[in-house]
Amino acid sequence: MAAFLSLAESQRRIAGYLNRFADAIARQDGATLRPLLAVSSAASLLPLADALSNFSDSSRLVSQSDHIAQFAEILLPLLRSIQSHRLGRFAEAYSSYEKAANSFLQEFRNWETPWAMETVQTIALEIRLLAEKGDRELASSGKSPEKLKGAGSFLMKVFGALAGKGPKRVGALYITCQLFKIYFKLGTVHLCRSVIRSIETARIFDFEEFPVKDKVTYMYYTGRLEVFNENFLAADQKLTYSLARSDPLNMSNMRMILKYLIPVKLSIGILPKMSLLKKYNLMEYSGVIDALKTGDVRLLRQALQEHEEQFLRSGVYLVLEKLELIVYQRLVKKIYMIQKQKDPDKAHQIKLDTIIKALKWLGIEIDTDEGECIVTMLIYKNLVKGYFAHKSKVCVLSKSDPFPKLCGKPVMT
Amino acid sequence: MMNQGGEPGAGINPSSSEVNYVGQAHAPSNPYLTSAGPQLWPPPQPPPPQPAPNSWSYRPENSNTHNGFPSNYYYEMQRGASNQSHTQTGPSTTPNMPAQGYNSTPYSTSYQSSPMDYSTSFYGNSYGNSSSLQVAPNQNTGASYQPPFQNSVGHTSSSSTSTTTMSNSNTYYNASGDHQNTASTTPSYQSSGNYYQQASHNYAYPSYNTSYQPQYIQPYYYNQTAGGPSIGTDTTSSVPSGAGHGGSYMGHGGAAGGYSSHPTNQPPPPGTTSWLPDAATPALPPVQGIGATGYQTQYPGQFQAYPPQPVDSAPAPDKLFVSNNANQGNIIYSQPPNMHVSSTNQFQQAPEIPQRQLPPPPPPPYTVQMPDMHQVQGGSHLHPNMVQMPDTRQVSKMQIPTNPRIAPGLATGAVKVDRGSISTSGLAKPAYVSVSVSKSDTKLASTAEDADKGAFPVSLKAYVERSFARCKTDVQRNANQNRLKEVITKATTEGTLFSKNWDLEPLFPLPSGDSTNTNNTLDSTVFSSLNKEKRKSRWEPIEETPQKKVEPLSNTSNSGPSNTRYNRPEATPKTDGRNWNTMIFVKAQKHSNFNNSGPGRFKKQKTNVFIRKQTEHTDSSSDSDKERELTKYYSSAISLANSPEEKKKREHRSKRFDKRRIESATPNNSSSIVTRKANAMLLAKSYDDNNGPDQAVEDIDWDSLTVKGTCQEIEKRYLRLTSAPDPSTVRPEEVLEKALEMVQTSSKNYLYKCDQLKSIRQDLTVQRIENELTVKVYETHARLAIQFGDIYEYNQCQSQLKRLYAEGIKGCDNEFSAYHLLHVCLHSNNKRDLLSSMAGLSIQSKQDDAVKHALKVRSAVSSGNYLLYFRLYKAAPNLNTCLMDLYVENIRFEAVKSMSKAYRPTLPVRYVAQVLGFVKNSEEKESETTDRSGFEECEQWLKAHGAVLTSDSTGDLQLDGKASMNTLYMPEPENAVSHGDASLAVDDFLTRAP
Repeated sequence: MAAFLSLAESQRRIAGYLNRFADAIARQDGATLRPLLAVSSAASLLPLADALSNFSDSSRLVSQSDHIAQFAEILLPLLRSIQSHRLGRFAEAYSSYEKAANSFLQEFRNWETPWAMETVQTIALEIRLLAEKGDRELASSGKSPEKLKGAGSFLMKVFGALAGKGPKRVGALYITCQLFKIYFKLGTVHLCRSVIRSIETARIFDFEEFPVKDKVTYMYYTGRLEVFNENFLAADQKLTYSLARSDPLNMSNMRMILKYLIPVKLSIGILPKMSLLKKYNLMEYSGVIDALKTGDVRLLRQALQEHEEQFLRSGVYLVLEKLELIVYQRLVKKIYMIQKQKDPDKAHQIKLDTIIKALKWLGIEIDTDEGECIVTMLIYKNLVKGYFAHKSKVCVLSKSDPFPKLCGKPVMT
Repeated sequence: MMNQGGEPGAGINPSSSEVNYVGQAHAPSNPYLTSAGPQLWPPPQPPPPQPAPNSWSYRPENSNTHNGFPSNYYYEMQRGASNQSHTQTGPSTTPNMPAQGYNSTPYSTSYQSSPMDYSTSFYGNSYGNSSSLQVAPNQNTGASYQPPFQNSVGHTSSSSTSTTTMSNSNTYYNASGDHQNTASTTPSYQSSGNYYQQASHNYAYPSYNTSYQPQYIQPYYYNQTAGGPSIGTDTTSSVPSGAGHGGSYMGHGGAAGGYSSHPTNQPPPPGTTSWLPDAATPALPPVQGIGATGYQTQYPGQFQAYPPQPVDSAPAPDKLFVSNNANQGNIIYSQPPNMHVSSTNQFQQAPEIPQRQLPPPPPPPYTVQMPDMHQVQGGSHLHPNMVQMPDTRQVSKMQIPTNPRIAPGLATGAVKVDRGSISTSGLAKPAYVSVSVSKSDTKLASTAEDADKGAFPVSLKAYVERSFARCKTDVQRNANQNRLKEVITKATTEGTLFSKNWDLEPLFPLPSGDSTNTNNTLDSTVFSSLNKEKRKSRWEPIEETPQKKVEPLSNTSNSGPSNTRYNRPEATPKTDGRNWNTMIFVKAQKHSNFNNSGPGRFKKQKTNVFIRKQTEHTDSSSDSDKERELTKYYSSAISLANSPEEKKKREHRSKRFDKRRIESATPNNSSSIVTRKANAMLLAKSYDDNNGPDQAVEDIDWDSLTVKGTCQEIEKRYLRLTSAPDPSTVRPEEVLEKALEMVQTSSKNYLYKCDQLKSIRQDLTVQRIENELTVKVYETHARLAIQFGDIYEYNQCQSQLKRLYAEGIKGCDNEFSAYHLLHVCLHSNNKRDLLSSMAGLSIQSKQDDAVKHALKVRSAVSSGNYLLYFRLYKAAPNLNTCLMDLYVENIRFEAVKSMSKAYRPTLPVRYVAQVLGFVKNSEEKESETTDRSGFEECEQWLKAHGAVLTSDSTGDLQLDGKASMNTLYMPEPENAVSHGDASLAVDDFLTRAP
């Protein structure tokens, strides 16, 4: 197609683009401006990209008239970026785009009203997407992927431009979320902290005033961070917030949130219905949940092993692994209930041998010392009320509420 | 003294224990001094009072450790302190000051460890040390009249055996003894020698005349100042001042010249005394005078000059001090700026002398004179800017030939001197007193200043300094002095001394100076600028052109001191500024080290370790640290020290100092004559063009900078590069292989191996060798580090290994994945890291025993299963045990906490011991004895953690669960250190060194 493009047509398209760009800024028309910068996602830029490959002297067009030339620092790299992107050279496209974005940010700083907020957000999104593409390209050619990191530091600059006082602050959370995405992808989540601090300590601006979509995203990511830290209560609160404000019909978002919320809820003793797992295709948790219900330690281990890679990648493995003690609790409780049926008077005395035997049935071989250790931990973590007599190897349960429920509280650490 | 010790402010410098001493010593005598001390004495007394000083005072017996240990610690502090001091004293003095600081360092360093080595190491630290030495003597004297003081002395005394010859004041001796100890115990005598002897010398006085002691003290101080000469700055000052005095000093200079043959001259590291200078010069003569009485020591001339002070002091020691202070205070004010000022003070004093009527000392032995020489030389070194006396230069030159050794460092010089003195004079008691004294002087001076209420505003000092800074000849200096005196007197009488803005005060005109001198100064500046340039990029290739230029300049123009000291002229064909950093230097150090007998060695090592961490954080000084570190490491034959090769190397080192000093002296000289290679230019350009250093690094064409090594030596010390590597000091791959083998089979301790491995790593890096050898080196190092518990070094290796494995280079990656897992889950406890490293394990590596083990450990830790942990601990493959070791305490504590909650009524301690890994598993039935000792250890441990133990009817110890629940606590680790990182505790670290 490009080959059939006449020179004049190419020139006309480029000039048209430049004019639209300059006019949009002159009129402070964010809606028009925004798609002009959406390098990777706006279909309307395709013809322009073709024209650019056909017409090499675009810089002359930029410098032709003053009202365009004043934005030359934005436009020249922007055009280059559009062209590179069209040619599939993403790393180059990213580099040019970052230059353009930098120049645009300069301008944006000088504009008092946030009319271009949407454009800035588009830029933030675009730069991340371009960086990801660029990194993929670099990685496949054996070079070190570093564009996303660069995008991260650029977005920090953008964040700096927005995060102060004033009307531009509304956009800060969006940038924060883009930063989260980058940091999580890069595995540098510790960098999130400074951004979070800046968002959460700002008294001037109520968190609720941010757009809902940003709040949901923000809560999702900060909730995930809390999962990493095994701060289950905070994680529960944030992820629940996020879940409650998400569109229930948006399956992928709901699933993403639930992926973290479910392990958190399990850790504080709340089990989901199987239908929920089915609805959002989270069946990897079903084994874990069954194990918790039945006290089947072997099942838990199997479930963890089966989905180990997945759990490791999402970062919930360590959380799920800790459920083992709760499963033990369930097992001991079952023994207790059976004993109670047989002989209510002696039910509160559970012999260590019984527990060991039960585990043996599950295919788990432990010796006495290990058994003692497990019981000790159960008592220590308040999952079992009672004491253990070393001499007689008997676990004596408390008469009242020997197996306290977690009831939304995490296991004591 | 104790009291003062208690005061943090006392001005005792944390930096050097010795310094502390000084502070203490003074303190008793003059409260003022102490308080003032810190300010005046910036170098020694870096503000933060450290624990170390206290410890020092508390445990005399430890003097050795103290020296070795704390000193290191202090060193760093001092460094900082010295910097500060520079700034303080010398806003006005700027050029001089920095230089001094540098000089000082070398000095001190030589001091503590083996003298030779140290010369290289430099920096403020040395300063502190030297001062401390000097101080010590003072203290002793002080002690004689002041009881509290003595205590401190006593403790010191224990350390110093060598000094025994000196019968007199134990205290004094002790001080000197301490120094020696630090330096190097056995052979050492020589090395420490200068100080030592000097100290003893001083000592002699006090012991000699008890009645005189008070007097002595003062002289003593003076002596110290005189000692200052050893310190470069002091010396410079002293020289001019001497001239001013009417030649008493000069006479010395002449004597010194005669002595020049003595190697000793060099000893005073130029930098050390920088701030001290003025005080020192005046002080010396009095001391000597005293000494003369007692010992018939050295400078008669000086003696005469100074007598007045002793007289004053005679009535009451305290008073004496005060008066001294006052005098010194004057001096001091002059000091910071220039020695000349001090000389004026001296003038005043001089007249008094006759009144004093001290018995004229018999002609001093040569040895005595030596100190003077030192002063002279040092002075020249210190103040490159200042034109030096022709005499001094000559002296220095003369000396050079005679004492090749001296060049490397003062310490060496000092040692030699001692020898010489001994041989010539036999007993050698006399001689070197001056050096040791210097510190106290400075202190006094400083204190005096404070006491005087500063006597003069800072701006005035700056003014004085400025005025002297432009003096290029003696004539000018003298004129300047006189003029200054007038100006100041006028201001004082008018009462405008403090109100006047001296910063704005125009300088009075001076008589024209002689042309050569001017040239010299110019040259020196040029030189410094060159250095500066070089510093810019460590990656620049070595350039040859500037070097040539520099050399001649430095010889002639640079103040005599540097030349003399370092013997520059003679040797080093390569004077290239860059070179000094390179390996040659390192090698030299290696050889130069004295043999340190066991204890001494240890100390040094400690220091190294200690310093290592810190080096990370200290930029400019890190090199020196490393060097010092290194020097400390090795104990090698002294015999090597005298070889011509060795000399050369030393010169290199010394040059390095010089350059630095000069550099610092004229920091702002932007005119650069440096011609760089094209490559370097490119580099610089890219650096400039790009916004950040990061980019510059990216853009560097590494290929063009990659070095191909030619060095064939297998052993090489590590020295952090600060310039482009020199191929002649880099070992090629074949040699590195041998080096690795050597390290692997070596029976030396970890610190040595660590150092060697680091140098191998460095050579690999600069040659960009990344193959299986590289992996092997890192693996070897990582294993050693794990074994030794050096997590810091392990981390470095691990991160490199991770990268190398990722590049497909074969190695024991499973073993190291296991280490990494253990490290992350046990030490850093970063959940995300843990997850990602777990996720990064391939199926194959999960089959590996070590990895499996590590995964099990992780799981045991995360579930809190202490039983499993200790079972795994006993079955650990490779070095997994070593990493698990560090977590044992935590997991035991958690375990006992849970046990005490879960078990009722009691739990046999025997069982606890078995479960928590104190004894072997019962099944294994190890021998009864090990069982029992494990049981006892467990009992101790439980008690230490607050557990309540009871005995049951059969006499078996039981853990009372209920009672223990609330009494358990984690005791403060015994080796807790104030900085919170127990792994940094040198004591602990060293004791672990095999």
